[in-house]
Amino acid sequence: MGLKKLWLVVERDFRMFIQYKFMLVMRGIWFVSQVALFGLVVNRMVQTAAAEVGISYFQYYVAGVTIITLYSTAMFIGYDIFEEAEHGVFEYLLTLPVSRRELVLGRSIGGGLRSFVYVGPLLLIVLFILGVSNPLYLLVALASLFIFAFGVSGMSITLAVAMKSGDKYDILIGVLDALIVRLSTTMYPIVYMQKAMPAYATVAGFNPLTYASDLFRWGTGVEGYIPINPVMGVLGLFMFFFAFTFVGVVFYERRLEGGSWQ
Amino acid sequence: MKAILRVIEHDFRNFFRYRWFIVGLIAMNLADLFISAIVFTQMTSIVDYFQFFAPGLVVLGLFASAFMIGREINMEIRREIHHYMLSLPMTRTELAVGRVLAGGLRGMLYMTPLLITTFIVLHRFPTLPQLSLILLSLLLLAIGISGVSISIAVSTTSFEKFVTARGVVYYMFFFCSSVFYPLSIIKVLETKGLWPLVTFAQINPLTNGSDLIRSFLLGPPEYVFSPLMLLNVAIFSGIFAFIATFAYSKILLRH
Repeated sequence: MGLKKLWLVVERDFRMFIQYKFMLVMRGIWFVSQVALFGLVVNRMVQTAAAEVGISYFQYYVAGVTIITLYSTAMFIGYDIFEEAEHGVFEYLLTLPVSRRELVLGRSIGGGLRSFVYVGPLLLIVLFILGVSNPLYLLVALASLFIFAFGVSGMSITLAVAMKSGDKYDILIGVLDALIVRLSTTMYPIVYMQKAMPAYATVAGFNPLTYASDLFRWGTGVEGYIPINPVMGVLGLFMFFFAFTFVGVVFYERRLEGGSWQ
Repeated sequence: MKAILRVIEHDFRNFFRYRWFIVGLIAMNLADLFISAIVFTQMTSIVDYFQFFAPGLVVLGLFASAFMIGREINMEIRREIHHYMLSLPMTRTELAVGRVLAGGLRGMLYMTPLLITTFIVLHRFPTLPQLSLILLSLLLLAIGISGVSISIAVSTTSFEKFVTARGVVYYMFFFCSSVFYPLSIIKVLETKGLWPLVTFAQINPLTNGSDLIRSFLLGPPEYVFSPLMLLNVAIFSGIFAFIATFAYSKILLRH
């Protein structure tokens, strides 16, 4: 497998991403509105609860919304795959002098990397808001987010190639988004999920968004105690990454043959 | 009138073709109510969040389902089906009015089970005149939302742009309204210099729609019905129904 060819595929996905200026600006506005509206207002509503767990809800939510943004931008690679199938770009990609595996792996890496680069400036703003107590912890957390972004990108590719209609994909992403975000600790601490319905807390315990957001909070020091062991969190994200990157690669590679995307 | 009814019938048939989309919407709405709302109820003592949010969810569902018409129109433009629509033996205005109304009526159809669920989970039922006012305001709201959606759909040529614009409109209308949190709490933004957002939240038709339902289900002292709520929704509906009709019949010819 040629690294240079792999990089060319990654670079192409980066260039494609930059072309979505409209989408990138809008996502930025979405992030700001989440932080400045939902975060601030709900912070007022749940002050007592936040005091009970020892942090401000605003800080808690800002960290969570960063993970939601990373997740949603990494999922965007699936839309690219559908656009390419709709506009006949697939055929062009197959004529390129790169192997199927290089193409597929490159796309998975590109999808994760570009979302991480996009979230980078937002991450800096969030770190400015939250502060950093231990740079080493933060480094571990950022490395975990990197793995998380690749895993989400792989998951997006897996789902996109498993479906024939862009509409169905959009719907599935909506449903998945509704469940995966709400059944995680991105928006609320697990202790309240446990109080509300123990089953929610159990599901959240297996959710990669829970691992990513808890590790990020742990990395910044905003949440000194995290319900999961950081090592287990990193391990969970690694398993998620490996599972979906390789499943995505195999699915995508198979689908490329014989025009089954049409 | 007959032509308009035909267009509405066409869009209703299409609505049922998108059963997966409806399933997706239902899943999202139920996740909001039975996951997020239940957890937030544990976190706040200011309001019983579950009771507070249930009427907001009705408006949320109405918004999302009435917005679906834009998705279809955008798809028609991308796949050039709009040429066929324009070739139908009816005036452009009839076609446009039919589509705006269809979007709104489909929203009402989707919203009805959510409204009934709200009555059941809250164990509160409005009187017949109150129910009539709720349905009237929601119908007006749905037509206005359908208008916003169609206006965006005919102004964006790619699906990606439509999805992004839809997201921005969704979040602007949702988060700057009393769907998720009481207006009294939104007013905290004034102290942070964000008074335009507070003003927007006050005039937001989603605020008025959800507070109108709350005024009949949860009642005073927090929620009191005012005819201005209905007027606000009617103005929103009138403006966007007009813009959408105009935009659909004019902009579509340029594609």
